[in-house]
Amino acid sequence: MTPLPFWSLMGEHRELGLVVSVAIGFGFGFVLERAGFGRAQKLIGQFLLSEMTVLKVMFGAVATAMVGLVVLDGVGLVDLRAVADSASSPTWIWPLAIGGFVVGLGFVTSSYCPGTSVVAMASGKLDGAATVAGVVLGTVVGGELLAIPAVARFNDSGDLGHLYLYDLLGVPAAVVALAVALVAVAAFVGAEKIEAIFGGAARPESPARPRRAVFATLAGLGAAGVALLALPHGTPAAYAPPPRLDPEVLARRLVDAPWKVRILDLRALEACGVARVPGAECTPAATLKDLDLGYASSARDLVLVGGGELADLPAEARAYRGRVFVLAGGFDAWKEWALERPDPPEPPPPGAPAAEIASYRFRNAVNAALTGVNVAPPPLPAAGGALPVKKRKAGGGGCSG
Amino acid sequence: MNRDPTRFWNPYLAGVALGLVLLTALVVTGKGLGASGASFRLGVTAVQAVAPGHVAAAPGLKGVAASGSPLDDWLVFQMFGVLLGGFVAAYTSGRLSLEVLKGPNFSTAGRIAMALAGGLLMGIGAKFARGCASGQALTGGALMSAGAWAFMMTFFGGGYTLAYFVKRAWR
Repeated sequence: MTPLPFWSLMGEHRELGLVVSVAIGFGFGFVLERAGFGRAQKLIGQFLLSEMTVLKVMFGAVATAMVGLVVLDGVGLVDLRAVADSASSPTWIWPLAIGGFVVGLGFVTSSYCPGTSVVAMASGKLDGAATVAGVVLGTVVGGELLAIPAVARFNDSGDLGHLYLYDLLGVPAAVVALAVALVAVAAFVGAEKIEAIFGGAARPESPARPRRAVFATLAGLGAAGVALLALPHGTPAAYAPPPRLDPEVLARRLVDAPWKVRILDLRALEACGVARVPGAECTPAATLKDLDLGYASSARDLVLVGGGELADLPAEARAYRGRVFVLAGGFDAWKEWALERPDPPEPPPPGAPAAEIASYRFRNAVNAALTGVNVAPPPLPAAGGALPVKKRKAGGGGCSG
Repeated sequence: MNRDPTRFWNPYLAGVALGLVLLTALVVTGKGLGASGASFRLGVTAVQAVAPGHVAAAPGLKGVAASGSPLDDWLVFQMFGVLLGGFVAAYTSGRLSLEVLKGPNFSTAGRIAMALAGGLLMGIGAKFARGCASGQALTGGALMSAGAWAFMMTFFGGGYTLAYFVKRAWR
């Protein structure tokens, strides 16, 4: 089975995706309200220990979605890592941990979280509306604070890339999901005990039958996820060919954000020692295993450079948790593009598209920087045709980035 | 349907239902659930209306305004759905009423001030944490993101740190 093409709803079928987003939001809001999360008393009870509804609903939801994903991944309907890379933010450990603490402080102060405050507002609660206003103001204040260099540095600190518990622990995702499901059930049993002690008369009733059914379903699905590991999948033939970067694209990345790429040159040490892509590490294929790529930070994109076209990824590189690219055409292509060019180079004709002229200029600049040979400037762009200015992609900001 | 404002879903079944909504979102759209992102986009839109030049100059704000309106995003549409879903659920359960929820011995003004201050704190925290209880704890947690689990731990840590001091607001 091929994984569901979820990306199409965010790409070519964007309008449909937005309608689906409204429908999902409807379900989200409806369930939150019916769970009682539109009422501050229900939410604050978690922290006053009088009722543990927040823990039960949240942990239950996390465990349900997690074992569901793992089972769907096990039967091949979903690519768990692809979904996770798409829907979760990378781990910036310091801002996430400290931001979490601040959100916790805000939660007990307002007795809502940003999502439940919207539900409270929708059900007419004015304190909920005040919280919504506070959150809107707070996110903008947080955004404004990023103008301070020290704050911006903190905001980008501890970048571990997309880091998942299963990578951290070195076990299959299904094992983590089963463990989480079991911990959730244990936490629920503990929560019932805490409610019995602190809840008093206000303690919500907790009928045994649905409770047992949910516990058994979570544990059973978790176990099913682990059992599905026995299915044969992930054979080397099933790997998609690695995405390729053209020399020009790689050069652009090296100029724009060199800290975002890690280049490994797989050629023999002698060849790599003579000439290599700037910043590349000389790591002949036999020494790759010493790099422990499976445990290295995945914050940077890995770019592999072979002598010529690299048809298949080495197993060590496949273990890398971040994104892996190969240089299209290998070092030969780089040499041809960046180091050896016809002299004099043929400039694009007058009136050529602006992008072509920009590309020519860029190649000249790289060429001059790497070889010290300067060439004639390109023709001026056609009338009115200003050079394209690369737009920065909108980044980050808010829930699930 | 009988409207009984004091009746809620069984929390375990509600948890499973919420998990299924989240699972559907992830599998169908490749995105999770989120709340603070839409709030941020709403806020940036407001700033844009008041001081159009400022957003483009603020490094922390211009990102969401770079490609068209900040409101043109799935997070905002989802938030609209949350409003609708919350409204329908509140109406059909008899919990739709204009009021301020507070402890019996606490002033309305005090409660509103606390709600506003708490929201402000959450907004700032969520900006740095790249998400709030829905985006990080729920979505990231279900996807086993290490950062999301760190967020969850410190989130509850922060909550229990302050819980003692807010007690009297609910007495």
